[in-house]
Amino acid sequence: MSCPKTPHILQEYLADDLTPLAKEEIDKHLLQCEHCASELEVLMLTQSQLANWQAERVPHWDRGMELFRREHRVGKQSSSWFSAWQWMPTAASFAMLCLLIFNTSVEVGDGGFSVSFGSPVSDMDAALAAFEQEQRTEIDSMIARFESRQDTNNLQLMQAVMSQTQQATVENLDQIYAYFEEQRRQDMQLMSQGYQQLADSDYATVQSLQELAQFVSFQGAR
Amino acid sequence: MSLIDEDEALIAAALNGSAFAWEKLVKRYESKIYNHGLRLMGNSSDAMDLMQEVFLGVYRNLHRFRGDARFSSWIFRIAHNKAVDLNRKKRLLAGYPVDSDNEGDVFDSFADEEGEEPELELLQSEQNRNIMAMLNILPFEQRLIVELKVFQSLTFEEIAEMQDISENTAKTRFYTALRKLKSVTEEYHVLS
Repeated sequence: MSCPKTPHILQEYLADDLTPLAKEEIDKHLLQCEHCASELEVLMLTQSQLANWQAERVPHWDRGMELFRREHRVGKQSSSWFSAWQWMPTAASFAMLCLLIFNTSVEVGDGGFSVSFGSPVSDMDAALAAFEQEQRTEIDSMIARFESRQDTNNLQLMQAVMSQTQQATVENLDQIYAYFEEQRRQDMQLMSQGYQQLADSDYATVQSLQELAQFVSFQGAR
Repeated sequence: MSLIDEDEALIAAALNGSAFAWEKLVKRYESKIYNHGLRLMGNSSDAMDLMQEVFLGVYRNLHRFRGDARFSSWIFRIAHNKAVDLNRKKRLLAGYPVDSDNEGDVFDSFADEEGEEPELELLQSEQNRNIMAMLNILPFEQRLIVELKVFQSLTFEEIAEMQDISENTAKTRFYTALRKLKSVTEEYHVLS
């Protein structure tokens, strides 16, 4: 059991700009037409089923933060107040150079502090001369003390060396004398033995000559 | 401070370079846009793509927002346009005509105990899985009308203006979509 008016009725019912009069007519039809009423009920049920959607949790993502930070950082570099700080090291270096060139000195006293440029040259020269004189005096006295101490040391050293050398020389001479005396005694013994041998040899020669003469005389006699 | 005023304050701060304001603005709308994308695109990865595209578009055009309309309307208009573009690209890449209806066995998409589409398994509730499966059987144009009417609560006049169609066409599409959904759910309940 269908109704030819169903599409029109339902389409109009779902519209959001339905006039009160049109709504009244549709309601009247729905009360009379079972098919349209059941169709509408199912459509509304389907619609409410869709509306039961529960919000799903969003997976993790960076929310475009990287892009945002990158683009805003790049865009702000030229106009940012922070860029003034880039000149700070250069300015500090320049200030230090000026302080050095103008020989600036800051003195803190009871009455506050004072800044002065340059330095009093005469005072500085006098101070330097006095300092030099003081240093010279001190160096001279140091040298004198050093020389005196060195002389004493040298003398003591020389005396010790000399005494040791003298004693050693005496001992050496005694040993040499004993050595020579021993050698002389041995030489005398050797010479004595040599003369004795020579004398013995001469005696043998004389005997041989005597025997030779006796032999010759004997041969001549025959 | 009302939500609308708060939106405008966040937009002004974000335009001045406040990352905190930008993040807060995104946090306010990301869930709505992501769920909008889920219902329209039918899966979470396309929904994420859509959401990122939408917020990129918002970021690029934030300085053009004049406050004539509500920020929520403005962002959902961007989301609508991006969804249409994304759907067109998908259809072209898949080799389907852009305006063709979805085909295939509708009941394969419904949640059951034996097997579900991997993308649908990621959804938190079975109810959401069934709603997604129902919406997926609709052609994209009808799905858009259902989304705008049921979930965004727009009037047919607003829908017609947004989609550049007549109000009657919008009403007819919505009615046709509901009838299709009704027949599918009836058939599903009969079989089960």
